[in-house]
Amino acid sequence: MAIQGNTKMVSIVDDDDLMRSALQGLLKAVGLQALAFASAEEFLTSGQQHATACLIADIRMPGISGLELQAKLNAEHCRIPTIFITAHGDAKMRMQALRAGAVEFLAKPFDDVALIESVRAALES
Amino acid sequence: MAYLHSAKPVPGPAASVASRYGLALLSVAVAFGIARAFLHFHLPQPFTALALSAIAITFWYGGNKPGILAALLSLIVRGYFFESDLSVASRGLYDLVFLIFALLMTGVTRARDELEVRVAERTAELTQTNLDLQLEIADRKRAELELRESEAYLAEAQKLTHTASFALDMANRVIIHWSQEHFRLFGFDPKDGFPLYEDVQRRIHPDDLESMTETYQKAIKEKTDYKLDYRIVLPDGTMKHVLTIGHPVFNMSGDLARYVGTVMDVTERKRADEEREALRQAQADLAHANRVTTMGELTASLSHEVNQPIAAAVTDANTCLRWLMRDQPDLEEASQAASRMVKDATRAAEIISGIRLLFKKGTAQRELVDVNKVIREMVVLLHGEATRSSISIRTELAEELPQITGDRVQLQQVMMNLMMNSIDAMKDVDGTRELIIKSQPGEDEQLMISVSDTGLGLPAQQADRIFSAFFTTKPHGTGMGLRISRSIVESHGGRLWAADKSSRGATFHLTLPTKADAQK
Ligand SMILES: Nc1ncnc2c1ncn2[C@@H]1O[C@H](COP(=O)(O)OP(=O)(O)OP(=O)(O)O)[C@@H](O)[C@H]1O
Ligand SMILES: [Mg+2]
Repeated sequence: MAIQGNTKMVSIVDDDDLMRSALQGLLKAVGLQALAFASAEEFLTSGQQHATACLIADIRMPGISGLELQAKLNAEHCRIPTIFITAHGDAKMRMQALRAGAVEFLAKPFDDVALIESVRAALES
Repeated sequence: MAYLHSAKPVPGPAASVASRYGLALLSVAVAFGIARAFLHFHLPQPFTALALSAIAITFWYGGNKPGILAALLSLIVRGYFFESDLSVASRGLYDLVFLIFALLMTGVTRARDELEVRVAERTAELTQTNLDLQLEIADRKRAELELRESEAYLAEAQKLTHTASFALDMANRVIIHWSQEHFRLFGFDPKDGFPLYEDVQRRIHPDDLESMTETYQKAIKEKTDYKLDYRIVLPDGTMKHVLTIGHPVFNMSGDLARYVGTVMDVTERKRADEEREALRQAQADLAHANRVTTMGELTASLSHEVNQPIAAAVTDANTCLRWLMRDQPDLEEASQAASRMVKDATRAAEIISGIRLLFKKGTAQRELVDVNKVIREMVVLLHGEATRSSISIRTELAEELPQITGDRVQLQQVMMNLMMNSIDAMKDVDGTRELIIKSQPGEDEQLMISVSDTGLGLPAQQADRIFSAFFTTKPHGTGMGLRISRSIVESHGGRLWAADKSSRGATFHLTLPTKADAQK
């Protein structure tokens, strides 16, 4: 259960504090270190996007939404494998996210095994 | 008859005094001349006869005084020129004859004068009567014209207002007046004369005939006014709603002589009323639909919001299990995950009971709201609903109520729910059904609104639960009305509560701050 190096960092962007802590806690339980951000803006200004190997993001957030964040990162040529977690998982949004390079699209409450597998896959790619 | 005094006896003063006395001289002179001429031709002298004629003529045309003058002149002329040799006695006899004749003539002229005055009077009277008659004829003509004109105006007015008039002779049971408009209204031809009672009856809608006859006969029996509301059907099938008002007229001995009255075509008004009612119904339905939609949106929003902490709780539970299921369970980490679970679950509970999401900062519209206006709007909206259940709505709104800052639509929802609850509570009670809404300024820059009804009252033993979410005693109730209302009022910085047991029905009070920014 070796802790991954900084190059293999996971970032979480979610406006809900409980969800952030829960995700961080889950990743810690499987030996993954994660940074948590309360908004897309916070993540973008932190400079951590270049060190991030996997991004877990909520879609519906005040300000910049998850999908907009993904588009912005793509525009900066910073293609991070992204896992979306959302309460509103409609098919259209799912297609849009996957086409823009999302690796997974999960509806809340989500299956923790599926999430961890996706994160691991993203980190190994 | 003042003008009689100016009537002139003949000859009138116009004939001058000179000519009248001149006549005396002239006539006697002529008599004298003729008599001399007779003597000249050795004829018997006729002076006496001629003088008498001269006197008569003078009296007739010259009047009394010239007549007497003529008599005296004749007397002198006779004594001087004719038969001057006569004895004193016979001359005196002649003189007497002249005098008596003159006396008689005064009588004659007086009689003539009186006659003439009387003729003048009669003529004047007749002239006056004639004048009067002419005036009267003119008056009558004018009156007739005016009558005809005012009849035309009346007919026009009846046509414009769709109001016909009638008069019935109750002794003979016949129509004695039936206006043009009445003919038109009932589709009869005025050329056929007044219709028979049976013909009129045939025009009445069969469903209305019985109640109409009943009311009518009752009025006749009690000799009172009557008011009838019925439908008539014309031969072409057109249906009209009419309103008839009849008023009894009594004769000298106090018996019912006539009924006079009006028949008004209220078809248009009825239709407008129905349309208005339909519109109000549609509005009420819409408002209800709105509320249901709001409920739907609320539920969707509620489930989304609750889903969030539940998802976190599921994740934390899984994490907790992962720490516990390790070969060497990490209790420290597990308990941290467990305490996060507690937080998640608490958040979920908070959302459900507080419905915080509805009033998260920014969701509500803040504007200046006139509470009285909101109340009035809701009264208009629910008027139809209330009327259908025989409920009267009364408002006692304080004038000059300060405005508040808030969300108008949300406040409408509160009023609507409180009023609908009251209406629901009164639908099945006997006695007065009254919904009273009051507004008044309160203490501490608050204003107070109360909604009271005379309905069933709050459910016994469960009065404290009515504000709980999903508590309802109605078959189709959501039980969210009061819950949402209280949240709305509280989000405005006010309070909503039910009054302690009122003697009858229920009373709800709510306060709203008039100044403060309610956002807390
Ligand atoms: N004016 C009232 N008189 C008597 N009982 C009332 C009155 N207002 C409310 N209640 C009681 O409180 C309960 C809850 O009311 P609430 O408005 O929350 O829901 P509801 O009226 O039952 O449902 P909905 O508002 O969806 O029609 C009612 O079912 C009723 O028992
Ligand atoms: Mg209700």
